[in-house]
Amino acid sequence: MSRSIMVTGASRGIGAATVERFYYADNDVTDFILLARESDAFTALMEKLRADNPYDKRAAGYAIDLADRPQTIDLMKDVMHNHGKVEILVNNAGYTAPCAMQQVDFADFERTIGVNLYAPFTIVQELLRNGNSFELIINIASTAGMNGRPGWLTYSASKAALITMSEVMKEELAIYGTRVVCISPGRCATDLRKTLAPDEDSSTIMQPGHVAGVIEMLASDIGRFVDSRNLVVRM
Amino acid sequence: MFSLVLLNGGVGTRVSAGQPKQFIRVNGLPIIVYSLVAADAVDEVEEIVLNYPEGWLEETEKLVIDYAVKKPVTYVPAGRTRHESVRLMLPHCKHERVILHETARPLVGAADFRGVVADPHENASFMLPIPFTVAPVDPDVGKVTGSLDRARLRNVQLPQKFRKADLEAAHEYAAREGVVFTEDATLVAVAGFDVYFLDGDDRNFKVTTPTDVRLAGYLLGGEDNDE
Repeated sequence: MSRSIMVTGASRGIGAATVERFYYADNDVTDFILLARESDAFTALMEKLRADNPYDKRAAGYAIDLADRPQTIDLMKDVMHNHGKVEILVNNAGYTAPCAMQQVDFADFERTIGVNLYAPFTIVQELLRNGNSFELIINIASTAGMNGRPGWLTYSASKAALITMSEVMKEELAIYGTRVVCISPGRCATDLRKTLAPDEDSSTIMQPGHVAGVIEMLASDIGRFVDSRNLVVRM
Repeated sequence: MFSLVLLNGGVGTRVSAGQPKQFIRVNGLPIIVYSLVAADAVDEVEEIVLNYPEGWLEETEKLVIDYAVKKPVTYVPAGRTRHESVRLMLPHCKHERVILHETARPLVGAADFRGVVADPHENASFMLPIPFTVAPVDPDVGKVTGSLDRARLRNVQLPQKFRKADLEAAHEYAAREGVVFTEDATLVAVAGFDVYFLDGDDRNFKVTTPTDVRLAGYLLGGEDNDE
């Protein structure tokens, strides 16, 4: 049996690590649907996957800004047309522009909620409406969504909402036998973390590959035995 | 292959939700969704004939669209009674064998539909043993009139399956005799056809009262049977 995986925010960090983890393993995940904003990193990743493909897998890259809801809706139709199904979905794309409350630009708040909350919702809803049956949905939240942090208002609020939304998805999608897991990584060496904590030595904290390992475990046979409201992954 | 007659027309005054009970939410989802999703996953069900309470066609269609039900759905206005609704829905069934279910049983699963399909008899219904005593009475005078052997009684459940011709003939019989039945397994049996029963599951109960809504919500909420 061959399974498909969709990863958002696939170009860097936890997204790219997850893609590589599944892609460079002799497993049944063979169809990769990769979403990210257009960037050199995304181009480089796609080129790497094409050039180095030891298990003859299929990787399709879709450049998209997930803050653009109409474009996201259209893309989900294309995805179903091109791939037929999305069995594993990793809602990883994240956005933040940390600043103090008095300095929050509302348009930026909207973008944060758009990428971190509305996009995972829209992707799941549209794929369902296009007849998809998920096996597993993994929403990547953050420990910042569990406790508010000064200066991270928009990001913390968006991730808190994602954690709660995941609980609802888990309940509602149980009728299809779909598993929904929310992961909240703690400090992890991603570009987004650099934005949040620019002075931190990234070599001293958890790496994206560690979180990708947890995602791989969740998609494995043993993953079904993990039933957590919000799985905290931290070093 | 089967046509599914999915009864969805009752107004549900006992649930008192201010709307037809098919649209009340159980564990957050409209109750009709559970039956639609379960049936949609069953290969032997090739079409769904679904009725709707007067004035609720648009809402019903929207739910079918929102939940991306893959089987073709035919919409039929509800009759005045459940008995009449079944009679009105049968001519819309394309297949010679039909499954009957009602959306007020949200704990039905695809396995229940497959179970009734797999039964070797043409006409079969899930039924439950009755673990309590039922007394025959004269309600007009408030008097007990005898006793019933509960070993020979069953609580009728759904889904059920029938040869369409048998079910149609049974409804013709009921029209001739001027009798109205509240469900179809007994109607078909009384009309002279063999109907068999399979042991059902007591979880698959009919949501009739506000207490039922809460109980179904609890059961659907993932209660852990192993603890």
